[in-house]
Amino acid sequence: MTEHQARKLASLTTPLLLIALLAVFVLLVGAFGDRSLGRMAAETLIRVTLVVGFWIFVGNSGVVSFGHAAFACVGAYVSAWVTLKPEMKTLLLTGLPDWLAQAEWHVLPAAVAAGAVAAVLALVTGAAILRLSGIAASIATFAFLAMVNTIWANWTPVTGGTSSVVGLARYVSPWVGLGWAAAAIVVAAVYATSASGLALRATREDEVAASASGIDRYRHRLAAYTVSAFFCGVGGALMGHFIGVINPDGFYLSLTFLMLAMLVMGGIGSLSGAVVGVLVVSIAVEGLVRLEKGVTLGATEIALPAGSQEILIGLAMILVLIFRPAGLLAGRDLSLPAAWVAGRAKTTK
Amino acid sequence: MMSKLGVFDLSVRYGKLTAVNDISFSVAEGERVFISGPNGAGKSSLLAAIAGEVRAAHGRIEMDGDILSGRVPEAIARRGLSMVPEGRRIFRALTVQENLMVGVGLRRDKTAVPDDLEAIYAAFPILGTRRHANAGALSGGQQQMLAIGRALMTNPKLMLVDEPSLGLAPRVVDEVYDRLCSLQAQRGLTLVIVEQSSARAGRVGGRMLLLRGGRIVADGDATAFAADDLLKEAYFGEATP
Repeated sequence: MTEHQARKLASLTTPLLLIALLAVFVLLVGAFGDRSLGRMAAETLIRVTLVVGFWIFVGNSGVVSFGHAAFACVGAYVSAWVTLKPEMKTLLLTGLPDWLAQAEWHVLPAAVAAGAVAAVLALVTGAAILRLSGIAASIATFAFLAMVNTIWANWTPVTGGTSSVVGLARYVSPWVGLGWAAAAIVVAAVYATSASGLALRATREDEVAASASGIDRYRHRLAAYTVSAFFCGVGGALMGHFIGVINPDGFYLSLTFLMLAMLVMGGIGSLSGAVVGVLVVSIAVEGLVRLEKGVTLGATEIALPAGSQEILIGLAMILVLIFRPAGLLAGRDLSLPAAWVAGRAKTTK
Repeated sequence: MMSKLGVFDLSVRYGKLTAVNDISFSVAEGERVFISGPNGAGKSSLLAAIAGEVRAAHGRIEMDGDILSGRVPEAIARRGLSMVPEGRRIFRALTVQENLMVGVGLRRDKTAVPDDLEAIYAAFPILGTRRHANAGALSGGQQQMLAIGRALMTNPKLMLVDEPSLGLAPRVVDEVYDRLCSLQAQRGLTLVIVEQSSARAGRVGGRMLLLRGGRIVADGDATAFAADDLLKEAYFGEATP
């Protein structure tokens, strides 16, 4: 085996390692954690699906998007529309067309539909937004987020407006979350190494040189945006079916900033950064929430003052940005060493 | 014989400033043409207009009789014109090999890609040994070779090279030109090179277009020019009698 082949094989281990890492996380929580820790694990894996989807566009194109929470919003409502009990829909969502009001889908095709509708929306809106370059494109995605939020908050007969839609089947366990997170990771890894992914990463590095190499930046951006929106749509549907209640404001600024913060913390430059960012932030938040509630150490009970969780997470983020501006993984990917992979391949032959 | 590249009455303006003023010339197949001249003569603007990066105010550009002017850079690249941009502009966070593979997306003959890749590594052995390193970690001269290799991987019929000697030590510049010339001989490439130093162009040899104030002031053999007073005139104004 040549060194080149060994390296290629080693890079294939990245998605497998990430999935294994998440599986170990789920197993550990399942073995030692209580019920609330189990919920935290499920929520973390939903976030991995969202943030890995988000990374497919942002990581490869280098264009920061503020619009991906809108795809999660659309996904959550699409899944609600097709899975809620018809009697509930005729009561709450009077404006739904008949076929949708009568629909009673299984949750899995509903999640796929949620992703598909989000992807189509991305294809249509991206066709306009992605012709802009640099910061203008980012601002346009923010405008898109605000538009979706306003429409969803006011289209009351179809979305229920600002009053929450309730009664979504709460089926999302950590293992369901792991399944979708794994799917997102595999697709993200395949895309990043595809010809389109390589072309997009080249435009991220240098637009002029990329166009001189014959790359149509717009086309590859649109492809990544569409794939990316699919997993954010699925992630939104999972969020809805995790909490059981959805509201347009649950998919607005705070979700946008949470997704961005996780990605920046882990490192925007690699898929592993996206996954590790979600894990680190989610575990840190959970730990701090528990400290706020108080822990007993021997005879003394220590409790952080309420609200210190947000402040400490903010501080941690500032420290990461100061000492590791490219994120915890700084653009590197987890993989098995090429020499080891080559060695294994030799012994199995 | 039909020329490889034809430029007719080309003008490039930036607002009120005219960078290229009504230039016409043609380049034959397999020829090596240097574009020299002082700072601000319009050399890079001329190259950028041919590659489609700036829009010509006026005039027409043809390659193999096919009109290039008015097309976007990626469409021009697809027609077989490849540009090695000024300052190299390699994709720093991608590996050396990824840099080389970026341009092959536009090729129809994908089966020839592995052989071409090996040919680039044979011409620039240092790129082969460092193929998995991040391109940003290469030295200036190595980055220039990578930029040339990247342009060659699109299998161009015509290659434009903008200031390949910029910021490189003279010994490294010699090496870059050696490789460039032998690659040209091997592949029958047509080369148009912007080179600020007319002395350098004279040593490498080929045809030279001397630009000044956006116009061609001389067109002839680079080696003969290097010794000529014409150059002083172009760089410093009218020759003193």
